Order: sequence, then C-alpha cells, then structure tokens
Amino acid sequence: MYQLVPVLALSVFVALFGLLLVFLASRFGPRTKPSAVKQSSYECGLEVEKSTTTKIPIKYYLTAILFILFDIEIIFMYPWALAFGDFIQAGHGLYIFSAMGVFLAIFVFGLFWEIKSRALDWD
Amino acid sequence: MGTDILEISINFAKMVAIFLLMVQLVPLLVWVERRGSALIQNRLGPNRVGPLGLTQLLADAVKFLTKEEFVPAKSHRFLFYLAPIVALLPAAVAFNAIPLSHPIEVEAFEWLGHTWGPYTFLFQGYEIGIGIVFVLGVSSLAAYALLLAGWASDNKYSLIGALRASAQMISYELALGLSIVGILLVFNTFSFSEMVSQQVGPLSFMFFGQEVSIPFLPNWGIFFQPLGAILLLAAVFAETNRLPFDLPEAEAELVAGYHTEYGGIKMNMFYIGEYGHMLVASALMVTFYFGGYHIPFITPDQINEFFSGRGHGATQASLLTALVLHLSFFAKIAVFLWVFVWVRWTLPRFRYDQLMDLGWKTMLPWALANTIITAILVLMMRSSWS
Amino acid sequence: MEMSSILFYLLAAATLFFGFRTITVANPIFSALNLALTMITLAGIFFMLDAYFIAGVQLAVYAGAVMVLFVMVLMLFDLSGEARAFSRGMMSGILKVGGVSLFGIIVIATIMGSFSNILVIDSGEAAAGQALVQPTTRDLAVVLFSRYLLAFELLGLLLLVVAVGVVAVSRIKGGTHARD
Repeated sequence: MYQLVPVLALSVFVALFGLLLVFLASRFGPRTKPSAVKQSSYECGLEVEKSTTTKIPIKYYLTAILFILFDIEIIFMYPWALAFGDFIQAGHGLYIFSAMGVFLAIFVFGLFWEIKSRALDWD
Repeated sequence: MGTDILEISINFAKMVAIFLLMVQLVPLLVWVERRGSALIQNRLGPNRVGPLGLTQLLADAVKFLTKEEFVPAKSHRFLFYLAPIVALLPAAVAFNAIPLSHPIEVEAFEWLGHTWGPYTFLFQGYEIGIGIVFVLGVSSLAAYALLLAGWASDNKYSLIGALRASAQMISYELALGLSIVGILLVFNTFSFSEMVSQQVGPLSFMFFGQEVSIPFLPNWGIFFQPLGAILLLAAVFAETNRLPFDLPEAEAELVAGYHTEYGGIKMNMFYIGEYGHMLVASALMVTFYFGGYHIPFITPDQINEFFSGRGHGATQASLLTALVLHLSFFAKIAVFLWVFVWVRWTLPRFRYDQLMDLGWKTMLPWALANTIITAILVLMMRSSWS
Repeated sequence: MEMSSILFYLLAAATLFFGFRTITVANPIFSALNLALTMITLAGIFFMLDAYFIAGVQLAVYAGAVMVLFVMVLMLFDLSGEARAFSRGMMSGILKVGGVSLFGIIVIATIMGSFSNILVIDSGEAAAGQALVQPTTRDLAVVLFSRYLLAFELLGLLLLVVAVGVVAVSRIKGGTHARD
C-alpha cells in the first residue's frame, strides 16, 4: 500500500503541472478573432472534403489482437523467469524448463504459423 | 512515504525534483539535437542567442508560452486539451521508479529542538517491488495520449498518425517485453535496485556449477545478454517514435502526425513526453546492461570510505557518494541519449511494411531465440552437476 | 480513519464512478476511455492489496493492451449512428431493462450470500491468514508452475486457437484482406 501513495501523489502533481502550463499559455498568448477559415482542420491548404472517418484496413485490428495474445503469453514468462533460479537451486531446473518448454513450443508454433500464413504481411 | 513530516516532505520534494529534472532536460536535449544534427550535416545550428546558442532554450520556452491558443473548430475540446497532459504522465511516473544513485543514509540530528532521523533516502522517486512490470505497464499507457490527440483533432493526418503510432508501439512492445525476459532469467528479480546491486565488482558467473571470475571486466548485464541489449535498444527506438521509426510523424506523408493541430506549449508537452521516454529508455538500458549507477570495479563502500577518510561526517560522506554515483549514472545515460540523436540524423526512415516486418518477423523471433538460449545456458551453468 | 482505508474508499469510489460512466456515456469512445480508467483504478486497488504482480499485469495487459485496442478500433469507425442507436429507441430500451435486471440479480445474490456463511470468514481463520508470510510473485510462480501447470499449458493452446481464429475471421470473403 505504501508504494501506491507516492505514485498517486506524483500523478496528481504532474497533472496539475500540465494544467498550469496550458492555463499559462492561454493567459499569455495573443487573442485574435476566430474565423471559420482559421479554425478549420489543416489539410495542406485545400478545403476539407470528407470527415475523418474513412475506411481503415482491417490489418490494424488484426495486428492489435495478435499483439494482445502474444502479450499475454509474454507476461506469463515473467513469473517463470523470476522463479527460474530458485527452481534450479532446489534441483528442479529441468522440470521448470520443460514446463515452460511446452508453452514456448506452442508460442513458437503460433508465431511461425502467423508468419507463414502471411497474416503479418503488409502490402 | 515516511514516518514524520520532514521525511514525507523531503520524499515529495525529491519526486518533484526528479520530474522537473526530466522536464528541464528537454530543452537541453533539443539543443543537443539541433547542434548535433548541425554537426552531422556539416552546418552551424543555433549559435546566435547566448554562448553556443544555449540561451536559445530560454527563448524557445518563452515563445512556446506566448503562442496564440488554437483549437480547431470541429475538434473535441476536452480531449484536445487532455491529450498533452496525458502525454506527460507515463514518462514521469516511469522515470521516478528507476534508481538514479545510491541511497543516502542520514544520521539522527537535532533541529528545532527535536531529534530527527535516522533516515534512509532512496535516490529515486519511489522503490516499487515489481519495478520492471510497473515501468512496462505505465509506459504502455503512453499510447493513449497519441490516440486521444489524433482523434480529438478531427484531422485525417492526425488520425492516421495516431493509428500508425499505436500499431507500431504495440508491435514493438512484444520484442521489448521478450528481451526483458532474458534479463529476468539472469538476475531473477523485478526490482531495479537489486538488479543494480548484482552488477558490482568484476565479471563473475557460474560455469557448470563452478564460480568463475574474470577480473578485467565489470559485472555488467551486457556480457550476459548481448543479443537482448541490441533488441531492447531497437525496440525502445520504436517505442519512442523516433527516427528511423518515426512514421507517425513522417512529415512528407502526414504533415506532423498526431500533433498536426497542436501548437505552442501543448505541442511542447508532447515533446516533453517523447524526450521523457527517451530518458526512461536510456535509464533502462543503463540499469539492465551497464551496471546502473555503479562505477566499474569500485564499490559504493569504497567511495564512502574515501570521503570519510577526508574528514567528512557519515551523513556528508553518504551524500557525496550518492552525488558521485549519480554523476556516473548520468554520464552513462548521456551516451545513450547521444546515440538517440546520432541515429536520428544518420538513418533514413523505414517504409511501413518494412517496419512491421522488422518488428514481427525479425525481432520477435530473435527475442524468442534469445529467451530460449538464455534459459538453456542458465539451466546448464547453474545446475550443480554432481 | 486510517490512511489505508481513506485510500481504499477513494480508489473504490473512483472505480465505481468510472464504471458507471462507462455504461451511461452515449459516445462509445468515452465509454472505452472510462473503462480504461476503471482498469487503472482497479490496478491501484490490487496495489493496495500488495498484489503487485497482478497490479502490473492489470496495467500492462488490460489498460495498456486490451483497452488500447478498443479505443483504437472505435476511433476508426463513424460512430454517430451507434451513439444515436444506443441513446434512444427500441435497442436501447431492451438493453436498459436487461442491464437493470442483471444488476438487480447481482445485488440480491450479494445480500443473500452475505446472510449465508459463504462469505463470512471467522476471526480465527482471519488471524491465521494475517500470520502467514506475504505472498510474493515468486510464490505465485511456484503455484502456477506446479499445481496449475496443466491449466497453464492449456491456456497456451487456447491462445493459439484464438490467434488462428482471428486470422481466419479476417479473411472472410469480402473483407479488405480476403485472399482472392
């Protein structure tokens, strides 16, 4: 619990610092009359034609989901790597290695299947 | 945070100081970046304002604060203002979790008719038991700032930039996370301070159950994880969205990416976030692979004894030791910060498919191989073989 | 009040508030952002319980990966239609009734559960729990890789199945990445 207090305190301080910067900038900056042309979105000088909601390739979505899956697998390796030394010292080194070995084999198979099925290709 | 009012206020002031250190390093780094790029491209760079153009930094800060406030008409006002503030947070919170120097021991002393202490002040914002996981988790939140900025601006360039940025960040987070597994296998701890304290003295390791020591090399992580170090360095380049991975703000295609509509201090806050991430990345590299704040072959106790021998009190000696080690830490960080600048002005930008191929098809398999090889080696070397 | 209980009530209130905003906000993007904040405050509560690794995973996986995916995907769509559909009309009515009745079931179940002895830990047991050494991530690893090893390996298989499924779904005819 005592590890949380300073993190929260710092987050609050940084957020207030950011607010202060934004506030100061709004105080010191020159004020001009807003106009429709000036307030429009930047489009390299052209008129804004369509809204921002355009079609985006499904690849982004696929990449994001695959990321989550692999990320979960990687997170599971953290406690394993942490306890690896203890297991070796207790004489169970081979056991803990093969326990992760099976999991890693599935991981490697999954990754190479993704690569081979061209799911990760961007073209 | 502490047991009495003095300790709590000093600890809080320390966190604020580390955050401000991060903020004030940004203009300095911008100066290094501009002078460095000038050096690399054989031109002069900013040299008019003050000696070596150093007060250019001050002029820039004033300029940022006095710029006109601009919000696009169709933007989402609340998120548009929120995004730069969110950009500051992850880097600041992560940087405070990394030990910057040896803890300072303060003996009990009398002040204002009250006995204070003894205290131990860590030279970092806060020590978190799960250091690495915490820093990974917090810095993965950085994607929100970019997404918010891109979406709130209601600009096609911004949205595509934010999309590219977040897709790229999550792709390289895998290689980043996996290369850290190798480090964990070697050090068997999540805590940064324990990791740093394991890197004191000459290089020593277990060789088929026997202790071997090489006296002319420091006990740094790089000698155990050379491949992991390269992978981690490449991955953090992508995480900080810097060249050669700066596709989110590729000016030829996307104007300025997710911060196209931002100007003045709000854009500067995104810069603070980006340079803050550079700082965190350099600090992680140093902590994992280059012995943290330790000076090779010299233990903190030796430095402490040196200062005590010169007639300094215990508190003073501890403070001076911490400062010396802090300088050593910053010297190491400065090398990596320069590498960031150097690479930016040396390598051209990737194409998007090359970027994704590198992340998924090259770095992820190599990081996996690194993990497996490290596990096998650790298993073979540390088993008792009797 | 103790410091820890103040902190707990603050975090719990924030979690509930963001959770409530998640279901009441009309704009799906704000809904997702509020859910992300809920995840972050939940991580804070895990932190308070000294479950540091779970807190870190909550941050890295839920707040940093899953919710980033949600926000990213929602930002890609034209959501004005959805915002309207979910704030009035038949669809929204059905969802509201369903949501309220689900909530009612949970409340009733909690009240009934608290009367039976399932949730009540007697004081001797609680004291014994206090006396135990703080469980660390190492202990978590020991349990995970011994008692729950089979479940762990099956999880790996499950993730593989999902990974294959995602690719298959993305190739359904007519999609942007369909194989011709």
